[in-house]
Amino acid sequence: MKKDFDYESLGLKIGIEIHQQLASKNKLFCHCPNELQGTRTPDFTILRKQRPVLGEEGKFDKGMLVEFLKKGSIVYEGYYDCTCTYELDETPPFHINEECLDITLEICALFKTEIIREVHICRKNYVDGSVPAGFQRTIEIGQNGKLLLKSGKEIGIENIFLEEDAARRIKTEGKISFFRVDRLGVPLNEITTAPEIHTPEEAKDAAYRIGLLLRSANKVKRVIGSTRQDINISIKGGERIEVKGVQKLDWIPLLVKFECQRQLSLIEIKKDLKKLNLKPSDIKNKTIDLSKFFKNTPCRFVKSGIKNGQKLIALKIPGFKGIYGKELNPNRRFGTEVAEKIKVLTGLQGLIHSDEDLRGKYKFTEKEVNHIKEKLDVGENDLFILLLAKGIPLENALDIILDRTKQAFKGVPEETRRAQDDGTHIFLRELGGEKRLYPDTDSQSFVISEERIQRIKESVGPYPWDIIDDYSKKYKIPGDLFEDLIMRGKLQLFDKLIKILPDNPTLVIRTITDMLKVLHRENRDIEQLEERHFSTLLKGLKKGAIAKEALESILRIWIDFPGLSLEKAKEKAGISSFDLNDLDKIIQEIIDKNIELIKTRGRGATGPLMGDVMKKVGRGVVDGKILSSKLQQLMSPYLSNKKSTKSKKGGK
Amino acid sequence: MTNEAEVRDPTGYKGALREWLLRKNIGVWSMVRVKKGNAIYEGVVLPRSENTSENYLVIKVDTGYNIGIYLTEECTIEEIGFKKGEYKLPDVTVRMNKDLPKVTLLGTGGTVASRLDYRTGAVLPAFTPQELFSAVPELMDICQLTPKKIYGILSENFKPEFWVKTAQAVMKEFENSADGVIIGHGTDTMSFTSSYLSFAFQDLAAPIVFVGSQRSSDRPSSDGPLNIINASTIAGYADLAEVVICMHGNTNDTYNLIHRGTRVRKMHSSRRDAFRTISDIPLGTIDANQNIKFLKKDVKKRGKIEETWLDAKMDERVAILYFYPGMDNDILESAIDNGYHGIIMIGTGLGHVSSYMFPALDRAKEEEIPVALVVEPLFGSTNLRVYETGRDMLARGVIEGGTMIPCAAYAKMIWVLGHTKDYNEVRKLMQTNLRGEMITREPNKGYLLFQGVEPGIDEMMRKLDPNPRFDAFR
Repeated sequence: MKKDFDYESLGLKIGIEIHQQLASKNKLFCHCPNELQGTRTPDFTILRKQRPVLGEEGKFDKGMLVEFLKKGSIVYEGYYDCTCTYELDETPPFHINEECLDITLEICALFKTEIIREVHICRKNYVDGSVPAGFQRTIEIGQNGKLLLKSGKEIGIENIFLEEDAARRIKTEGKISFFRVDRLGVPLNEITTAPEIHTPEEAKDAAYRIGLLLRSANKVKRVIGSTRQDINISIKGGERIEVKGVQKLDWIPLLVKFECQRQLSLIEIKKDLKKLNLKPSDIKNKTIDLSKFFKNTPCRFVKSGIKNGQKLIALKIPGFKGIYGKELNPNRRFGTEVAEKIKVLTGLQGLIHSDEDLRGKYKFTEKEVNHIKEKLDVGENDLFILLLAKGIPLENALDIILDRTKQAFKGVPEETRRAQDDGTHIFLRELGGEKRLYPDTDSQSFVISEERIQRIKESVGPYPWDIIDDYSKKYKIPGDLFEDLIMRGKLQLFDKLIKILPDNPTLVIRTITDMLKVLHRENRDIEQLEERHFSTLLKGLKKGAIAKEALESILRIWIDFPGLSLEKAKEKAGISSFDLNDLDKIIQEIIDKNIELIKTRGRGATGPLMGDVMKKVGRGVVDGKILSSKLQQLMSPYLSNKKSTKSKKGGK
Repeated sequence: MTNEAEVRDPTGYKGALREWLLRKNIGVWSMVRVKKGNAIYEGVVLPRSENTSENYLVIKVDTGYNIGIYLTEECTIEEIGFKKGEYKLPDVTVRMNKDLPKVTLLGTGGTVASRLDYRTGAVLPAFTPQELFSAVPELMDICQLTPKKIYGILSENFKPEFWVKTAQAVMKEFENSADGVIIGHGTDTMSFTSSYLSFAFQDLAAPIVFVGSQRSSDRPSSDGPLNIINASTIAGYADLAEVVICMHGNTNDTYNLIHRGTRVRKMHSSRRDAFRTISDIPLGTIDANQNIKFLKKDVKKRGKIEETWLDAKMDERVAILYFYPGMDNDILESAIDNGYHGIIMIGTGLGHVSSYMFPALDRAKEEEIPVALVVEPLFGSTNLRVYETGRDMLARGVIEGGTMIPCAAYAKMIWVLGHTKDYNEVRKLMQTNLRGEMITREPNKGYLLFQGVEPGIDEMMRKLDPNPRFDAFR
């Protein structure tokens, strides 16, 4: 891309929505465990159909999405031991999980929101099948909070919602969508900011700070996928675009930049159309059927499509030459957007338009192209579109082309789009469908007591970024170590363990972060390790009962045998107990055996001798530093005539 | 904007808050702005439901969510607009194909389809042909369906008098040459009504199909649409002349069961497949492509509709008593004292009640009040000859209900007592199989209750999940 934009003059407005899974014991509306089952094979499946409920839905929803969905089936996969009839939409919801409500109130307190005193459970309709009921239950809990950015600027937190997560999409085969219901009903908090963010960097910081603040809460999930963010972007003269599934904070700046570029291009198109004096009403739904003429076309997919009963139809768009081919983002043209919309909503492959290289890309002959031009009376500045389909999808795709093309006169249409990892995004659905809520008739409203709100408010500590600064100053180590602790929910553990080893915060942090990372990578269940394991371990280290090197291997043993004492765990790890008083004797013996080596190599003998000592003492039994200093000390008499100045450090 | 002349109604609000709203002329559907401390809330005032706390104002905010604001004296509230929930009919042209069978859908309560008013959050029942057909367009290709609402009552508020009115309404449709009639009914007491109609119709020549939904029709996952589509097919085409219930066969949206109206019962409080035929297999199945398959040989076939007549007599002074260990005599005594004309007793096991109840049974016999026994286990038959207690009961004149399920026995006695109070006559009729309510041969497959531990049950359940057919919905 050429350059950065002057975002201020663009009038860039960004709002962020973050979804955070809560780490309660059970799900939000039933008593199933709040645990994903990963790749475990499901025990059973059920098959369902869903149909849209009548509402004041626009022509679009009714005419297309409906038709598309009606033909699809949904398969839900479940497990006998952790799926109940609630997830299968066979029983009404149970009373809301109180633990989830407490966690949400804590998060509301972190964002300093007001609490809705009487909460009402609402239904939000979902048309993609990801919820067996066809709607998600959601509750607004907090309103009017705030978030302080690094720059000192404060942005508004509009709402905090408590809602149930949807089922996991596993795959789509033909017209069947497979969803696994282990994720369905997992409690989520949705946090939405006001559109008060004005630069991509601010957006990244806001998303980062919301994430950090959430992780500073007690019971939130911290694994990959437990936090999801959506970003709303608009510029002056443009419209709000919601981009879903922004998986990494680093994507945000590029994504915002691309979206600005896209909206600017769309606004440009709008201006161009005005200059050309074109009107939406110039675009007519008048098509011709080319199937007969093209039945032996060199374009292979068109030929086989026609053979299989599809129709090739053509449509003229007057004055649009060049517009479908206009690039909005790198390698993404206006025509790409229309094609993607057709793909998403009708399942068709897309469209062909005359701004493309019809002869090179599609192998159409000059005669064929001329035939279309002649039949449609395509002039110098006109565009034509080809569509290969039949039946309802054909009608729907045609409607999409007409609608989307007419929208070009207005500039940017409001849409919900899905982020891709190259910073661009593709059409997902029309915006606004999400906001269609109605009361959940299966449940009653309930009141959150003032006492409960106060109690939770008082339990909330300072902001994590302040904690990071304070700790960094206090322990004189870089702040990112503490950030890591907060992200992993280990700060409280650190606070307890640092009392055992007040002089070595780095080792304490390393024990509960890096070492666990290593063990986790070995595919071990680090959840088995509790606070008592770490405190026993560090106390043992302090007493000299174990060496620093042994920490990891003992943790590894405890994962498999969490009930073992330190002594027993040491034994199992192959670390024999060792009396420090014996150390002198052992080292002396080794020195005696290697006097020649010491004499010839001087201090250079330390390495090989250290290896022998370690072998004799056992790895991880005694701290390597102690061993090394002892060895140097006992070696020093033999070194006196050679390079004695250099061996000073070890011998005292 | 605000229309000064109009008087607003704060429906459902109580106490001081109601007074306050009335004073400010704020009512339901008013757009309001509430200030509470630093917070400002704006939204549409919604009706307040009963059994909720006072002093909370419920509004729908612009995100669509509903919230309840605790109003105290320091709050201010003002009306900034007014928008009443408006109900517009969907834009569907109803075209009736005159070649298709004529079917009437009688609505008694509950809905087959609903419309959502997202602005106010209201759920509006869809019942006009336009509404019904725009919600379930497939119906237009199945039959000429005429929906008629006879009343809107909850299933639990049904009384025998409504059974009679329903039966009369059905008869009227047959007189107007309907090929079949569907009755939309709340599911809770559906099998009581279906039982009564079974007895009331004589020489029935066309299907009467009861249908409902276990998941409300305002949700995309409702079982209602498939149920009504299948019910319409049965009513319009099936060679069947019985009162039946047509509901989901299992948890999948793949097939429905056709149950005989006197043998079926709701066996789960909420599942789609709650309706089960007891002690027998259902009459048949109808799949998601509307293929009907009859499984029983004794299905009554269609006849001449002119021969159908209605005999909807009744005596609703009938009680059902559920025997439990420690049940006191006084309950049965009290029923007799209160002038009940007949009693259905649900007895343990083969149909027993304790010997403590005998004095009351003696009194019932003396006063010629029929007491019919059905079995508490639901499956199986009464047999009062096996144990001494049973024989003692028979000696006291109780009537063995055989394999009748409680709701069928109840509806039957109400119908029978409408015709005769003669004790022996009643006994004779109660023990005669009139509409398949009593079965003499209980097939082994009539009792299929799996416990999830049977060898091969997992494989079987996987097989029960049908191979998805994409064209299942046309």
